[in-house]
Amino acid sequence: MTPDVERAETASEPPAIEVEHVTKSYGHFTAVDDLSFAVERGSTVGLFGPNGAGKTTLLRMMAGLARPTRGTITVDGVELAPDDYTTYRTIGVVTHETMLYDELTARENLRFHADLHGVDDPADRCASVLDTVGLSHRGSDRPAAFSHGLRKRLSLGRALLHDPDVLLLDEPYTGLDQRSVADLESVLDGFDERTVVLTTHDLERGVARCDRALVVDRGRLEADLALDDAASFAAEYRRAIGVESEPERRGETTR
Amino acid sequence: MNAFLRAVYRVFRKDLRIERRTKQVTTTVAVFALLVVLVFAFSFVQTLQRSALLGRGALWVAFVFAGTFGVTKTVELEDRNGALDGLLIAPVDRSAIYLGKVLSATAFIFAVSLVTLGATTVFLGYGPSIPTAVSVAAVLLVAAIGFAAIGVVVSVLTFRSGLDELALPVLLVPLVVPLLLAGVDLTAALESGSPLGGWLRLLGLYTGVVLLAGVATFEYVVEA
Repeated sequence: MTPDVERAETASEPPAIEVEHVTKSYGHFTAVDDLSFAVERGSTVGLFGPNGAGKTTLLRMMAGLARPTRGTITVDGVELAPDDYTTYRTIGVVTHETMLYDELTARENLRFHADLHGVDDPADRCASVLDTVGLSHRGSDRPAAFSHGLRKRLSLGRALLHDPDVLLLDEPYTGLDQRSVADLESVLDGFDERTVVLTTHDLERGVARCDRALVVDRGRLEADLALDDAASFAAEYRRAIGVESEPERRGETTR
Repeated sequence: MNAFLRAVYRVFRKDLRIERRTKQVTTTVAVFALLVVLVFAFSFVQTLQRSALLGRGALWVAFVFAGTFGVTKTVELEDRNGALDGLLIAPVDRSAIYLGKVLSATAFIFAVSLVTLGATTVFLGYGPSIPTAVSVAAVLLVAAIGFAAIGVVVSVLTFRSGLDELALPVLLVPLVVPLLLAGVDLTAALESGSPLGGWLRLLGLYTGVVLLAGVATFEYVVEA
């Protein structure tokens, strides 16, 4: 059992997310290999790792989009189970894809998802979310007419509709220009009370956004680091995935 | 209306709204079905005196082609932008999502089948009486439900597993053969006034079985 799981068990309320011995295999290929960690409520945790490390697979399992081959995932004290969809009310998900219909307007897209999530007073909630993501003036436009950044913001709005306690963001910065990143950051800044788990290759932004980093490589948890110091994290990260520079390697040897 | 039926209705209503706006499925598939009927008319111009036989054949050939395209287009809508994932992360039973998609695909396939039925009358001189045409339409409706029930599962499996789109008809057509056999023979029996017995039972039972199998397996198919 990891120290985080132990720490979580001593707390009075369960952690926001608890991943216990989770493995995901596709035939002979193991994408995620016996991962265990817990995410405290209100924290922002980054999943870092090279391409193919298993980050997205892990996030998809935490979202209920894929089933672990072994192990359990608990959200808000309730295990994600194949036939129990109630847990999904507490989770918001943003992936590489927007999950939006290009043929519906931004407002219609949000309304459809609000209805599916059983949101109270859906018309008002959709208007409020459009305002939150800065798209209230584009509600009648179709996402097909949006830039990549605006589509990402609308996708974020979709994930926020049911006011989830846990947000899972897969590569939220990918493909965004500086302005779109700043817009996205300003929306994320309002998430202080939510638990956020995000995957990113953008170490600088990830370090600035997250309280804690889980470094995953070849499906295994290689490091669990507090993000106090961006410079030391970069070195720790490279060491964890085995691509440290020569001076770093020498430093490690001399220590 | 309980939560399950509400979810079925919402998925269905969303598909209808998109179709009303784009007419992507019905227009494309109806034109394709009409072309199939026309090809029949041109190919068998010398034997048009056997119009009932030709009309029946064209109707069901067009049904299979139109159904394959119709169900693919309906599921493709969920493949774009990862929209299916958006449905799967909603707190609703996944079989409600499946049934919503089956309902949409059935509506599109049935609408195109009615257009095809009209086209076979115009271009092939296939002219069943009004009561027979109504009965044939009822057979087409049940067959459309069965086709959609199989087609949604196979299309989702094809899209989710990244199989080539040519794999879809290869997987789908053998599974709809019982529907096709029952449909063709029921149409002939309705025209001649013969007993419907066995073929009617086959159509009803097979449709029921594939629908239940779809409800039971959709959860696993979407996680493929």
